[in-house]
Amino acid sequence: MALNVAVIIKLEPDFSEGNVSYNPDGTLNRAETKSTLGPHSAIAAQAAFYAKVMHDAKVSIGTMGPPIADLALQQAQQISDADELHLYSDRLFAGADTLATAEVLKTGIEKMQGKMDIVFSGHRASDGETGQTGPQTAWKLGFTFLGNVISYELNLETRIIRAKRMISLQGFPDVIEEVEAPLPVFISIDPNFKSNFNTVSQRLAFQKYQKTATEKAKNYKEYLKIFNAKELGVDETLVGLPGSPTIVYKVERVPKSTATRQAEVVNGSDSLQLQKVVGRMKEALSAMVIK
Amino acid sequence: MVENYRHLYVIIEHEDGKFLPVSLEMLGEARRLLDNFNKKYSTKEKVVAVVLGHNIKNVSKQLIEYGADTVIFSDNPELKNVRNTIYTKVISQIAQDNKTLAEVELEYASEIKRPRYMFFAADSVGRHLSSTVLAELESGLASDINKLVVEDIELSHQQKTAGKKETYAKTLEMYRPDFSGFLWTTILCLDNRNPAFKRDYHPQACSIIPGVFEPIKSDSSRQGKIIEFVPTIDEQDLKVKILSRKIIESEVDFDTPRTIVSFGRGIKDEPEQNIKIIEKLAKVLNAEIGITLPISKKPFVVSSALDSKYMIPDRVIGTSGHKTSPLLYIAVGVSGAMQHVWGMKDSGFVVAINPDEEAPIRNECNIFIKGRMEDVIPLLIEEIKKQMQIVEA
Repeated sequence: MALNVAVIIKLEPDFSEGNVSYNPDGTLNRAETKSTLGPHSAIAAQAAFYAKVMHDAKVSIGTMGPPIADLALQQAQQISDADELHLYSDRLFAGADTLATAEVLKTGIEKMQGKMDIVFSGHRASDGETGQTGPQTAWKLGFTFLGNVISYELNLETRIIRAKRMISLQGFPDVIEEVEAPLPVFISIDPNFKSNFNTVSQRLAFQKYQKTATEKAKNYKEYLKIFNAKELGVDETLVGLPGSPTIVYKVERVPKSTATRQAEVVNGSDSLQLQKVVGRMKEALSAMVIK
Repeated sequence: MVENYRHLYVIIEHEDGKFLPVSLEMLGEARRLLDNFNKKYSTKEKVVAVVLGHNIKNVSKQLIEYGADTVIFSDNPELKNVRNTIYTKVISQIAQDNKTLAEVELEYASEIKRPRYMFFAADSVGRHLSSTVLAELESGLASDINKLVVEDIELSHQQKTAGKKETYAKTLEMYRPDFSGFLWTTILCLDNRNPAFKRDYHPQACSIIPGVFEPIKSDSSRQGKIIEFVPTIDEQDLKVKILSRKIIESEVDFDTPRTIVSFGRGIKDEPEQNIKIIEKLAKVLNAEIGITLPISKKPFVVSSALDSKYMIPDRVIGTSGHKTSPLLYIAVGVSGAMQHVWGMKDSGFVVAINPDEEAPIRNECNIFIKGRMEDVIPLLIEEIKKQMQIVEA
């Protein structure tokens, strides 16, 4: 039986050295920083590619963003061998918080070819870092939400997914939880996600689809559909600023904390001074012995 | 004046009845916030702890000792472990159930429709749960908050107020540090008063970074109300089966070592070489290695061995990772962003190595060694080798 999977992705600032630019005060210089497919989005695309290799899934990708976000779609297609790329782009979407973004993505996913069995999202965006858009899209779709998934296996006959989830809670050791759920599901992928290709035929399929992915990504525009608000058919009061319960009220520099320690400044090339520093370090460590 | 939204609901997390520290921290902050609130507005609004689970009746009293006025609990075998769908449904029911809302404070019983504010933990459970609950309640959510203030805010906003000046009373200012740690964004959840798309947005909700707020001292004489909520459970919401739960041991240990050496973006000139130097320093000190949050985003290309060993979230020290308190903390090329400082400020003795004397880390260390790590660390290693055999033994 056929399997349809979707991935929602995001164009984000490229934090790699040489592409990222910081202002002298330590904040991100957005104008000078390049954009790229977000690293967590890339992992979500890998998770979709796993379904492609294992089950010959049809992969669709959706993103909300400015016209240049087609770059992220192309990069994600290269990873996942997607057949369908959706860009939801309209001035009306600008200023959306996570709830209003989820509304657009949900509507877009419902417009993709075929009924989706699994939708993947990244763990969180590296610029916004809320991690809310995925689960909110899942809730609006009415899909079972599985978060922090590090691996999964599918049984296409029973239409049941088995997934391992990583749960890290403050003050408790990490737990890997294994769960089972009927499709459709929405999965947010943990950064520790691993695809396991164990057999020769899986590895051959992997290579085959990688090749076709490269071909498709070269001609990605053939697969690309761009939707504005009207074409998408969203309720305009549920997207962009009108659909956002939250606003950014102000942005300020975090005030410099008052000094908690009186630092002694030492010249790092003066070995005599370093000798004393090590003496102090030794003292600090021996405090334990006294205790 | 009729007010349909009252009280502050705190969603409690626990493992088999043992509270996560963040749950008590949230209760502490909720207590402080509402004490001021009730004084300022002459109200009787309550801190309401919401707890779900199985065999949890006994934990409710403890939540009152830690600052809750009221505890609403749901006890059901299906709620033993957190599963997103059923937890979202039950919490949303609790937030909208007229009878339960009325019981919290009888004086507001006739008008209350929903909680005014809602707190969740910004962790593996609360982050997703807050998202889905607020999607169900169709209201606003801010994540990873580390400061909260209630204010009457006057503003004009093109969309929210159609450009007119309006006062939003009792608004929760939710402060979140951005990924760099140098910017603070204040997020508000505001009703749309614009006649073109009028809509109420309550509760005003947020997820709170673990470890930021102080719990109050537990007081067994505190009194409160305990309410049982019997949820409506639909088979459709129980599709996820938990097959197993296995505890995994982390390979990174920040608790036992007496020394932690951490590094940040200051390794940028020669990342590969610099990590290797830092490894050597850690080795002579028998130290564990930590990193700052930006390093976990892999901003530098290094060999895959170093990448997979060090540039991983498990090593992050700070609000997005671990809180540590070794006897000796050495910060190499760490600027000293607020989030990182939170994770190391309780260390016994702190040494920073940094070429920039203006870096904020200077305010957080005992000795600031001014210089490039490439130059300083080899000298330091030599000196440690000369002096430190005694400590090693």
